[in-house]
Amino acid sequence: MSLACSKISIDYGQRRALFDFDFALQPGRIHGLIGPNGSGKSTALQALAGLIKPASGSVELDGRQITTMSRREIARRLAFLPQQPSAPEEMTVEQLARQARFAHVGLLRGYGPHDEKLIAWALESTGVSDFAGRGLQELSGGERQRAWISAALAQEARILLLDEPTSYLDIGYQVEILDLIHRLSRDRGVSIVMAIHDINQAISVCDRISLLQGGRLVFDDEPRALAANNLVETVFRIRGRFVEITPGSPPHFDVELARWSDGARDH
Amino acid sequence: MNVGATRDLRADNALILPAWIGLTTIALALSVFMGVVDIPPVDVIAALVGKGSAQARSIIIDIRLPRVLVGMVVGVHFAVAGFILQSITRNPLADPSIMGISQGATLAVGVFLLFSVYIHNPGSNTLAELPLAWLPSIAIIGGLLAGLAIYAMAFGRNLGPIRLTICGVAVGALLHAVAIGLIAGWGSARIEILLEWLSGSLYARSWDHLRYLLPFTVVGLAMLPLIRRPLTMLRFDSSVSRSFGLSHKLHFSLALALACCLAASAVGVAGPIVFVGLIVPHLARFLAGRRFALVLPFTLALGIVVVTLGDLVGRLAGGAEEIPIGVVTAIFGAPLLLVLLRRMA
Ligand SMILES: Nc1ncnc2c1ncn2[C@@H]1O[C@H](COP(=O)(O)OP(=O)(O)OP(=O)(O)O)[C@@H](O)[C@H]1O
Ligand SMILES: [Mg+2]
Repeated sequence: MSLACSKISIDYGQRRALFDFDFALQPGRIHGLIGPNGSGKSTALQALAGLIKPASGSVELDGRQITTMSRREIARRLAFLPQQPSAPEEMTVEQLARQARFAHVGLLRGYGPHDEKLIAWALESTGVSDFAGRGLQELSGGERQRAWISAALAQEARILLLDEPTSYLDIGYQVEILDLIHRLSRDRGVSIVMAIHDINQAISVCDRISLLQGGRLVFDDEPRALAANNLVETVFRIRGRFVEITPGSPPHFDVELARWSDGARDH
Repeated sequence: MNVGATRDLRADNALILPAWIGLTTIALALSVFMGVVDIPPVDVIAALVGKGSAQARSIIIDIRLPRVLVGMVVGVHFAVAGFILQSITRNPLADPSIMGISQGATLAVGVFLLFSVYIHNPGSNTLAELPLAWLPSIAIIGGLLAGLAIYAMAFGRNLGPIRLTICGVAVGALLHAVAIGLIAGWGSARIEILLEWLSGSLYARSWDHLRYLLPFTVVGLAMLPLIRRPLTMLRFDSSVSRSFGLSHKLHFSLALALACCLAASAVGVAGPIVFVGLIVPHLARFLAGRRFALVLPFTLALGIVVVTLGDLVGRLAGGAEEIPIGVVTAIFGAPLLLVLLRRMA
C-alpha cells in the first residue's frame, strides 16, 4: 500500500492553493497535516484522494497514477473523510456505514456476512452502535462526526485520509478516536493521513508531520524535529515553547496566551 | 447493533408486497369497473373473459382496459422519472415538467407533427390522426435534448441544486412557449386532438399506444436494479459519493438519461401529465419513512394508483366532456405541493 505525490500544485480558478506539494506515506504509519486555516490541508487531502486534479504533478496510489484508476478501484484501497461531509436528510447512521461498502458490493451484489461484520465492527468501535438507527440530522456534531468515521472504517481500506476527524469531539472521544487510529495503524497496518489542529495531539500520535503555510510545505519530518525549531511559533504567529513533561514522552507545546501575559503585566 | 429494528423492518417488508399488489389491483379494478357508461360488474367480468354483449365487450376491452393500462404505465414512467430527478439533483422539487424535460418532449412532438402533416397530406393542414408509432421515440429525442441542457448546466457551471432547478424551469418555460407558439401559428382547424394531448390526456388511448410505449417501460424498469444504489449515493456531495467508489458523472448521466427517456416517452403517448413525478415520490418517501429500500417500490405503486384513480375521477366528474388527467393532477397536485413546501420550510 503506497500513496505518494511529488511536486503537485492545485489551483482553484485563478488562485493557487497548493504549491509543489511533496508527500510520501509510510505503510502502517500515521502522517499528520498541520497548518493554519486556509493553508491547504484539505486541498492536499482531496488531491491525495484523487478528488481534485492537480494543475501539475501527479498522485500515485500503489504505484499507479490515481487519475488512471476508477473510483471503485481507488475506494477499495483508500477511504477519505471530508472535513464537513453532508448526507441525505433521512439517512441513518447504519445506512451511512452501509453506503461505504459500495466499493466492495458494487451495483448488484448483496451484503454478505463479511460486510455485515465489518459494518457492525465500524459502528461498535466508534461508539455509535447505540444510536445506529437514528437519523444523522438528529445527532450532535460529535456524534455525527463519529458516524462518518465509522463509515470510513466500514470501507475497509488500507489507507485512511481523515480531514480533522476530531474537531467536534469532546476530549474523551478525541482520545478515543485518536486511540482507535493508533490501534488501526499498529494492529491492522492501516496507513493514515489526517489533518489535525491540535499540535500536541499531532505530536503524540503521528509518526510524521507535514506543516503547511499558505499552500507551501514548510516542514516534513518526525514530530520531535518540530520541537527542535520555532516553526510552530512563526507559522501560527504565537508565542510558546516545547516542554518535556515526563522524560521519554513526546514534547508538549506550551502556548503563551497573549491576554494572560498582558494581564500579568498589568498587575 | 440494533437487531430488533432490523427484524421489524424484515417483518414489514414481508407485508409490503401483498399490500403493494392489493392497492394497485384495487385501483385498476375500480378504473375498469367504473365509467361513464354504466355497465354492471357481472357484465364487465363477462366482457373480460370474452363473453357478454358485443357493446359491453367493445367498451371494456377496446376502450376502458387499454386506457387504464396506458394510464398505469404512464404513471410509472412519470413517478420513477420524478424520483430519479429528485435524487440526482438533490432537490425535492425536481420533476420532469419542472426541469423542462416534458416541455422538450412536447416541443419535439409538436415539430414532428407539423412536418408530418405537410409531408403526408400536402395542401391540407389538418391532422386527422396522430402517427402513434413514432411519438414515444420523437418525444424521447426532445426529452434527451432538454436533459442535455440540464447536464451541461450541472457540470459545465457547477450549479447547486436550487439554481439548477431554476435553470430547468427557465428552459422548460422557453420550450413550452415555443411549442405553444408553433401550434398557435399553425392555426389549424383541427388541433383539438393536439390540444387535448398537450394538457395530458388518456382519452381514446388504445392498445396501440400501449404497444408502442411498453418497450420503453420494460427497458427502463430493467435498468432500475442497476441504478438503485447509485441513486442513493448521488444524494451525497460528490466528494463523498466519489470517495465511496461511485463514478459520479457517469451515474449522474445514466440516471438523468433514464429519467428523460421514461418521462419523455410517456409525454409522447399521453402528453405532459404534471405533478405526478413531483408528488408521488414525496408520498412514497412519507409512507416509507426510514425504510429507504421501500421508497422505489412505493413510488412505482403510487404512480399507478395516482394516475389510474385520477383518470377515473376525470372521467366520472366531467360526464360527457371528461376532464383530462393532466388537469386533474394539476388541480390536486397544486395544493399538495403547497403542503409539501410548508412541511419543508
Ligand atoms: N472550493 C474552493 N474554491 C476556491 N477556493 C478554495 C476552495 N477550497 C479551498 N479554497 C481556498 O484554498 C485555500 C486552502 O484551503 P483549504 O480548505 O485546503 O485549507 P485548510 O488548510 O484545510 O483550512 P482549514 O484549517 O480552515 O480547514 C484557502 O485559501 C481557501 O480559501
Ligand atoms: Mg480544511
